Amino acid sequence: MSYLSLQDVSKTFRTATGDVEAVAPLSLHIVQGEIVTFLGPSGCGKTTLMRMVGGLERPTTGQILLDGQPLGGPDRRRGMVFQSYAAFPWLTVAGNIRAGLRYRPGISRSEQADQIARLIDLVGLTGFEDSYTSRISGGMRQRVAIARTLAADPDVLLMDEPFGALDALTREHLQTQLMRINRTEGKTTIFVTHDVEEAILLAHRTLVFSARPARVIEDIDVSTLLPPAARDTETRDQPAFLDLRKRIQTVLRQEHHEGSKADVA
Amino acid sequence: MLSFRTAIPRRQEVTLGVAGLVTFLVVWQLVAVSGWIKPQFLPTPGAVLAAFWRLFTEAGFAGDIAISVGRVWFAFFLAVIIAVPLGLLMSSYRAIGAFFEPFIDFIRYLPVPALVPLLIIWFGVGEASKIAVLWMGTFFQLVLLINEDTKRVPREYIESGLTLGANQWQVMRDIICPAALPNMVDNLRITLGWCWTYLIIAEIVAASSGVGHVIWSLRRFVKTPEVMAGIIAIGIIGLLTDQAFRLLHRRAFVYLDR
Repeated sequence: MSYLSLQDVSKTFRTATGDVEAVAPLSLHIVQGEIVTFLGPSGCGKTTLMRMVGGLERPTTGQILLDGQPLGGPDRRRGMVFQSYAAFPWLTVAGNIRAGLRYRPGISRSEQADQIARLIDLVGLTGFEDSYTSRISGGMRQRVAIARTLAADPDVLLMDEPFGALDALTREHLQTQLMRINRTEGKTTIFVTHDVEEAILLAHRTLVFSARPARVIEDIDVSTLLPPAARDTETRDQPAFLDLRKRIQTVLRQEHHEGSKADVA
Repeated sequence: MLSFRTAIPRRQEVTLGVAGLVTFLVVWQLVAVSGWIKPQFLPTPGAVLAAFWRLFTEAGFAGDIAISVGRVWFAFFLAVIIAVPLGLLMSSYRAIGAFFEPFIDFIRYLPVPALVPLLIIWFGVGEASKIAVLWMGTFFQLVLLINEDTKRVPREYIESGLTLGANQWQVMRDIICPAALPNMVDNLRITLGWCWTYLIIAEIVAASSGVGHVIWSLRRFVKTPEVMAGIIAIGIIGLLTDQAFRLLHRRAFVYLDR
């Protein structure tokens, strides 16, 4: 049963030098609780597609439905985590998470305190409650942003290359942590990345995108190949994982090759 | 000793600052007593200090300072309470920005002293015209500065707020304002300094009280030490205000990397 539906959604940007088609008309159905990763080359339009789901860009054509209702501008139903660290520097770790609870109706003070404590524990920031986010590392700031987004209790979680700016070790650590968070929270999630391993590791389903304008060139059911409940850091070494990675890399390389030919022509 | 773009110890920094001031005073003293320049043009530092004392004890200078400070702060307050919301609205709603920007840009380039005659025709020679001069001098600059400060708030902060469920007003209040506040306070500090420039102009042209008036009326009697003492008083007030703002900035925004 489709929970989040994109129907013939496309996006064309008008620029001074002419129209740029970022996303070709595309239909997509995501079920509740599903974690879908959008994988594609940089600048292919996958982020634009996700921003349209978040209400931060208006589709040029088509519509997006959540639970059967057409979606408009941004609101609390679609929480977003950005690539750049969007934790508020003028607030502490706990203050940032409180900012996520602030616009939820009917949350009592004691409930707020419970939620903040739970989320700080969930993202492993116990002991840093009162630190300003300008005083903590990039990886920790990104965990603050994730906790803050979860605090708002969105129906859909949108993540735009959240680990893209982190060093390899921190990224691996946060990927493992996010796998665990996903299992406990069970949120419908779209996760945008250009990292093949990340796209497989975190996904129930991976969509591989073409170069601009974005089209889905592969729709892979990762869950049946690699059961999510059994995944951990070691999953990277499993044959099923390695096969899948190779398969996706081949597709991406082919796509890149076609793209280069088009550039020459 | 002169290491390129490197920090030096705090003590050395203070010592050098004091040494610079002392050197200035010594050179001044030497030139004044040498007889190259007549004392009515360049009195000694000691004479200026004595004049400073006389201004306070005999001429009631403290009252004039209070009047001038009051004018500056009142006009500045009037400018801030309109400029901050307007600047914020201009950066938040493109239509409002487009409506006001050309007009404000035009007025901003008018030299304030040129407006003084017009403002006296409109408001007379009382308090109102002085407040008007100060307000004209700061308001239009401040609107554009606040507009820039709020424009520079990262898009991710604003979009985070919207996707957390904040409405436009809540985003302005809870995100844009606190995010832009450190820069805003800095710009308020700088604009308040300009207020003093315009105040002296306003008080010289038409006033019967205030620091500018005192300096200008002493000039008629060629009381050079008193004139210099008055100017130095303005410098000291400016320095103290500036330091107070800096202290506020350090205390209020402890999260900033410095």
